[in-house]
Amino acid sequence: MVIYKSFSLLTTQYNDLIRITDEIEKAVAESGIKNGIVTVITKHTTTGITVNESLECLESDIDTFLKRLVPEDYPYVHARMLRSYGSTAGNPTGHLKAHLTGNHCVFPIVNSEMVKGDAQDVYFCEFDGPAKRTISISILGE
Amino acid sequence: MFIDIHVHPAFFEPINTEEEQTEFRHNALDIHRNGTAPLEHIFNQMRCAGLDRLCLLPEDYTTTAGRAVVTNEEIRSLVDMAPDKFIGFASVDPLADDCCEKLEHAFADLRLKGLKLHPSRQWFYPSDERLEQIYQICEKYNKPILFHSGLSWEPDTLSKYAKPMEFEELAYRHPKLRICLAHFGWPWVQETAMLMVKFPNVYADTSFLYFDCAKEFYFRVLTQDLPVTWIDRSLRHQVMFGSNNPRFEQIRMAQAIQELDFRESTLELIKGENAIEFLGGLD
Repeated sequence: MVIYKSFSLLTTQYNDLIRITDEIEKAVAESGIKNGIVTVITKHTTTGITVNESLECLESDIDTFLKRLVPEDYPYVHARMLRSYGSTAGNPTGHLKAHLTGNHCVFPIVNSEMVKGDAQDVYFCEFDGPAKRTISISILGE
Repeated sequence: MFIDIHVHPAFFEPINTEEEQTEFRHNALDIHRNGTAPLEHIFNQMRCAGLDRLCLLPEDYTTTAGRAVVTNEEIRSLVDMAPDKFIGFASVDPLADDCCEKLEHAFADLRLKGLKLHPSRQWFYPSDERLEQIYQICEKYNKPILFHSGLSWEPDTLSKYAKPMEFEELAYRHPKLRICLAHFGWPWVQETAMLMVKFPNVYADTSFLYFDCAKEFYFRVLTQDLPVTWIDRSLRHQVMFGSNNPRFEQIRMAQAIQELDFRESTLELIKGENAIEFLGGLD
């Protein structure tokens, strides 16, 4: 059986790490699937999904690390009018940070529960906010 | 006070209740894949940009596109939802038979703060005598006009109608009418500067981002194409910050304008004081 769900959120910062573990666990619990996997995928190309420990210090280090790798002030080529949008592309750093974090994560489901390590939390990563964002949750199993 | 004088609210969620209407707006403005924006998102965006107020501009393209993209009534309804954040402009199609009645209604009843006109899309020259009555109504109510000027990305537009020089006769014949050449008339920014230094009733906004990123393009246009001293010394009371959001990037432009080498007092004028003067006050 495959259960598909999605949820949206309004991000409030340019760059932000938003913990979404509770939303994923709730979706798994409501799915009725006892054994299988859950996949969490962002629908956007300037956002990411990552798994890490939910500590303020680590969130700050991740933010600093990504900003060091992908500085705002750099002659990126993705800075021009895009005919398909009719607007200016100005978010290369968002795309590149999303490239680094990836767009998804996967966890096993055993006995109706998402199996994860004690230190693991799921983060939605905003790299071009504020924006309205949607996250897909696919639950596969029986 | 930080004001964005040039915002198109066509995709604000409260005025996008019908899918067909939103689709029409995407095609009429040639802006795509941007979705609709709840007001909460607009306020988040304003906070990230440091903006206090947005001037909301409608577009009445009755004779060229069959209808208004955003109506004056929709602008009024948005302003009523956030009167501390939004300033509403009117639009009329100057070649439509009822344009003067519509404008009177927009100023007298809807209490909108100014008029937006788009010569390139509405296909008229600013010195066209058919516009004379509209200009007189604006003078009667002491309302400014924000004209599109320079390149337009919208479909069915001809730049010849909106070259800065086309506004000289209007500025000359109506010295009490405050007019703004949006987008600084890009690429003819020196023509715009010529009009501004000659006519104190001519303003320009900074809603241009046709190449590169905001920081690069602002640096190019506002410090090289126009030496920074021209604005900082001579035109400082006539330049207003504008983003043309959602076409261009409001947050990055709001940041970039503050990274140029203007005096702090000039920056304050550009950020808000000139807009307040142009609008005839905020009340």
